[in-house]
Formats: sequence, structure tokens, C-alpha cells
Amino acid sequence: MDFSFTEEQLMFKEQVMRFATKEIVPRVQEHELKGEFDFQSFRKLGEFGILGLHFSEELGGSNADVVTSVLVGEALGEAGVDGGLTLAYGAHTFLCADTIFAHGTDTQRKKYIPKLASGEWIGCMGLTEPGAGSDVASLATRAEKRGDKYVLNGNKMFITNGPVSDVAVIYAKIGKDLKHAGISAFIVEKGAAGFSTGKNLVKMGVRSSHTSELIFEDCEIPEENLIGQEGAGFIMAMQTVEWDRSALLAPFIGGMTYVLKKCARFAKERYQFGRPIGEFQAIKHKLADIKIFIEAARSLCYRIAWCKDQGRPLNHLEAAVAKLFIGDWSLKPANDAMVLHGGYGYCHEYEVERYFRDSRLAPIGGGTSEIEKKIICKLI
Amino acid sequence: MNFDYSETQRNLCEKVKGVFDTDTEASFAKLESGDDDAIRIVVSKYLKTLGQVGYLTRGLENGKDTVGLVAAQESLARISPSLFLSVEVNARIFGRLIAVYGTADQKSQFLPDLKEGRLIGTVALSEGGMNIENNPLHTAGVQVGDSFLVTGEKNHVVNAPIADWIAIAGKMKEKIVFFVIKNRSKGLSIGQRLPTMGYNGMAISTISLENCSALSKYVIGPFEGEAPLKTIRTWEDQILTAGSLGLMHRCYTTALSYAKNHTSGNKPIIAYQEVGFKLAEMLTLLQTAQLLAYRAAWMAETNNRETNVVAYCAKVFCAESAEEVASQALQILGGHGYIDGNPAEEGYRNAKYLQIAGTSTEISRMKIADGVLKME
Repeated sequence: MDFSFTEEQLMFKEQVMRFATKEIVPRVQEHELKGEFDFQSFRKLGEFGILGLHFSEELGGSNADVVTSVLVGEALGEAGVDGGLTLAYGAHTFLCADTIFAHGTDTQRKKYIPKLASGEWIGCMGLTEPGAGSDVASLATRAEKRGDKYVLNGNKMFITNGPVSDVAVIYAKIGKDLKHAGISAFIVEKGAAGFSTGKNLVKMGVRSSHTSELIFEDCEIPEENLIGQEGAGFIMAMQTVEWDRSALLAPFIGGMTYVLKKCARFAKERYQFGRPIGEFQAIKHKLADIKIFIEAARSLCYRIAWCKDQGRPLNHLEAAVAKLFIGDWSLKPANDAMVLHGGYGYCHEYEVERYFRDSRLAPIGGGTSEIEKKIICKLI
Repeated sequence: MNFDYSETQRNLCEKVKGVFDTDTEASFAKLESGDDDAIRIVVSKYLKTLGQVGYLTRGLENGKDTVGLVAAQESLARISPSLFLSVEVNARIFGRLIAVYGTADQKSQFLPDLKEGRLIGTVALSEGGMNIENNPLHTAGVQVGDSFLVTGEKNHVVNAPIADWIAIAGKMKEKIVFFVIKNRSKGLSIGQRLPTMGYNGMAISTISLENCSALSKYVIGPFEGEAPLKTIRTWEDQILTAGSLGLMHRCYTTALSYAKNHTSGNKPIIAYQEVGFKLAEMLTLLQTAQLLAYRAAWMAETNNRETNVVAYCAKVFCAESAEEVASQALQILGGHGYIDGNPAEEGYRNAKYLQIAGTSTEISRMKIADGVLKME
């Protein structure tokens, strides 16, 4: 076993942190408070090369391995980028663009990946529906082949980047009676006839990412927008889940490190009863618990990334364990960080309350903790 | 980066498992309920076989492989928690003390026997209310000719009733030394074995010394400062961390097997989410603890400034998770879990020791926080 990063990876992490601290973090508070998507920061992520990091160079990427991609997610969180922007980046790069990159035709790749990698276009992915969340097989959005077109009908729910996206990867069923075997993936572009988005949903956290319903009413798309084969969508969705449970989790861990540093600073500067509160054992206990969580969570994330880099397909157990731990076990340290700041922690200015709200998504999005337990049960 | 065991690491784990055969369960039943002699017989027997497969040389020779050591320790702790602690105190505390700090003569006298499992040793550290963080040692030796007369009291010494040799931590002219004394030496008395809540197959007692003679050739040290005491504590913590992994694994596999085979309402109870989800949480804790423990072990071989902090994180997380996993396992086993002598109830009783022994979870947390406060 070897838990080391290469010099190159560590240097890149430093670069990402410096870039994010200078270009993105100063804009975070304003956008988060207003619940506004920060288009400028998103483009900057693209210009820096983050949005297309693991794609091939000829498509605008850098050929990075998965471990490096996870490291970048951690770096963004550690620099202080909010969960909204990192979620938008995750949904864009891993859930939308990666599906086209991994399963699309050369034509599809050439058309979409460069623009998604640069951030010129924003991507989203639609799997969840108002009536089909954890139970993927029950999804009701239909695709029907009519001549050289597919016609989509149905609604998608809680779609990150929905209102701001230019390209959507949509999962829909072909054939009414088919369950998993009927699920297929399609590319739908903004402006397609019969495609509209609902209003931006007001959320507890990750507020700078926009989330909405996607509505398909006799939405016609060209047949060449099918990704892979008809009925191959379920396996694609399962592959994105690995990203969901590694690269998308990394910013939570990095964010917790950011929060821990803030806590340490506050504990040294805040005096009560004539001494810094960091000298009280009750405060030290909280600092220790936050640190223990970070150290425990980190390797879970990198294990999935490393398995993917080794070409091991669908690491379901590892992914479910990581998602369950980081989701459920992050809540207490996130709460500790806020409580440690007392009244200040409850105010937006101190950022820990933002992290508290953002981290609440971890046990819900991308497979609830209950679903992770269900998966683990099935595999043991 | 690599999350797989190496070939060597995997081989050693397999060899450790191979040591234990069909009469294992009977041996361990004797260990858990036996008197000092019974314990000594079982420990001696397995020390020899573990020696044959190379388990005891780890940490006593040049060339580190702390990750491999943890993996092998986890394998043993899964099989018998009590035997594991006895063996580890012998090999990785007493043995390492000699290997790292001993003289050439001491090494040539003790190490061959230790590596082959022919002797049982221990180190006596704790005294009264003493912890090595805040209180000095009171046990002291006075030189008389070619030997020292050692006087003092030691508490909670694992292996003391069954040991051949005991290294007593004490002071000589205000400097820390270890007096290595043969059991049954004049002036050395080993107290009655202490009944314990868990790890019942581990012989533990007090020791008192009154003008007990220790030959100077058997003195290790003297040392400037308290570094050796702290180093021994890190070895202890590492053992307890690996022991936590073994305990969790033992409890988890017991509960998993029970949940798959015990039926209720015509289906195995694992099919009920109240049971199945507990197992999912247990496996999550186990795997998370493993990765953290292995990373802490890996860091011990690097110059990372966070090595100590991560080791404390691993100790706290693994020890506390062990109690949680044991508790859930017992719950899954229901009435069967509450009956003496099954791995879940045994694990539940044992788990507390892991949080108390070595650096307690309270002191560990304070040390982690000290590290965090230096971050910024």
C-alpha cells in the first residue's frame, strides 16, 4: 500500500488552491447569499483547465488521471470555494460531459467536449424525476423513435445546472414495460423544441448552484443524439455514480479542512474567561473530532479514484462505503465547527454556517445514505 | 498511490491464518477461562508457531513495513484478541525495546529467542496515578557494585504473571532506564492476576519491587529526556489500533454470518433493513478504520509533519468504532449475543480496553487538537 501523491499532483494542487483563492473565493459569499450562479467563476474554472481535466488533450482536456481530478476537488474545497460552485462543476464535468466523453461517438465528443471543457457551454444531467429518485428503474420519462428523431416526454427533478445549462444528458425509457433494460441516454440542447426548465429551486445549501425541473413535452431531438445504444443508459448512469461518490465528494473533504483552519484560527483569537477558547478541552475536543473525520474520510475518496485509474469497473462497494461515511459522519463535525464559533458561527459572515448548510446535501444527493446501505447490503 | 497489499504482505497474512487449525477454538476457550499456567501454555504454543512463519520478526529487524505489520496484526487479532495482545506486548513492546534501544549483547541474548517465540517478555510502565504525560516515574534503581537495587510499584502489567523477563521502566540518577529483570528474581513480586472486564485470556497484574537486583548488563539506557517512554506509547497505540481492526472484523463477520443464516418470517434477518443497514454501517466503519490505520502506518515511515497527529486520529477512530461495531454485532445476534463466549459480547467487553490503554482517547484528542492549533 502506498498513500503518496506524485510531486506533480501535489504541485498542481497548490496551483489550484492559489488560483481559487485569488480568482474565485472573493466572489463566493456574494453569490451564495444571493443564490446566484457565478458565470464568471465557472468560466475561470474552464480557462484554468479544471472543467475538462481528465479529457484527452485534442478535446481540450489534460489527460489527467482520476486521482488528480479528485485532488482538484479537494483543493477547491480547501481553498474555500463554496459547495454550490463545486457541485455545479461536478454535475457539469462528471455527470454530463464525462458521459458523452466515455460513451459518445467521435462526432458527439468533438461537438460537445471542447466547449464543455472550456466552460463555454454548461452541462447538466437528468436522471431523477418527481416520482423516481432512488428507484431508477421506475423512471417515467419516455423516448419514442419517430422516423429519424426521438421524441421525449416527461419531467426531471432536482437537476443541478438545469436553469443555466446549454447541454443536458437525459435518461429516458424506450418501451413501456422495460425496466433497467429500457433506459437510454440522450443529448438535449438548450432551445430544443418542447424542452423547458422550471424555476430555480430555493435550497437550504449549495445555493450558488442552480437547480430546477426539466420539462419535456414532445421534445424532438435528432436520432444522432442518442448516446451509445438504446437500452445502454442504466450502465452509464451507474458509472457516473462512481464519480458522484468520489470526485463530487472530494470538495466536502477539502471544505472541512478549510473550515477546520477557520476553527483553529477562531479558537486562538477568541478569548473568554481570560484565555483563548482553544485552551478549553471542550473546544479542543471539537477540533479533534473534525480532524479525525477529515483523516478518516480522505482515503475512502482516493481509493475509488485509484480503482478507476487501475481500470477496475464499477467499484460499487467502495463507492457506497465512501458516500455513506462522508454523508452521515460529516454532519457532526460540520455542526461542531459552527457551534465552536458560537453566535458568530450562526452568521453568514463566518462561513461555517454555509459549510453546515452545504454539507447537509452529502447524505442526500447522488444516492441517499439509505440507498448506500441498501447497495452495501446487497453486496455483502 | 496503491491501495492493494503487496505480495509479501498478503503472504504473511495467509501464513498467520494458517497457524490456526481445527483445535484453535478449544485452545482459545482455555485461554479465556484459564489460570496463569493455562494461559502460559497457550501463549507459548502459538508464539512458537507464529515465530516459524516470521510474524515475530516484524519491528525487530532492519527494514520497515509498518503497513504489512498492521495487516498481519489485524489477521491475528481477528482470530484471538487476547492472544494477540499477549503476543504483541512480547514481540512489539518488549522485543522492540531490546531491538531499538538494547546493547549488542542484549540483542544477541534476547532477539533470537524472541523471534522464534521461545520466551515471553513484557515492559512495566504505568505506576499508580501516573501517566507519562504529566507525572514522573517513582521506581528507581541504586547502583551497588555491578548491579542495581530497584524499588517501586508498577500497575497493570500485561503478561506479568506469565513472563520470563520483565523490563521495568524506572529512574537512575534522574535519568530514565529500563531494568530487564528475570521473573521470580529476589525482591520482585508479581501480584495476583487482576480480573478484567474484557481480554480475559490476557494475564495482567501489578508488580512490586523491593531492592530487587538487576545486573547492569541488563540495563537499557540511561536516556536523556522521556523520548523512549513516548516511543513505547506509540508502539502500544499502533498495536491497539490494529487490535481494533481485528476486533471489528471478528464482530462484523460473526454478525454477518448470523444475519444470513438466522431466519425470521421465512427470510434471513439480513433481508430486514433494521438488521441489514446495521451491517452496512458496521462495514463502513470497518473499511474506513482500516484505511485510516493503514495510512497512519504508512505515514510512520515518511517524514510527514502530521504523522503523529494522524496516528492519534487512527487510534481514536479505530478504538471508538470497535465499540460501536461490537455493540451493533451483539444487537444483531440478539439473545445469542448476550450469552457468554461469543465474539460479539467478547468484542463489546474488549472494546473499552482499546480506548483506555495506550494513549487514552481523551489524551489523544487533546494531542490532535494541539496539532490542529499549530496548523494556522
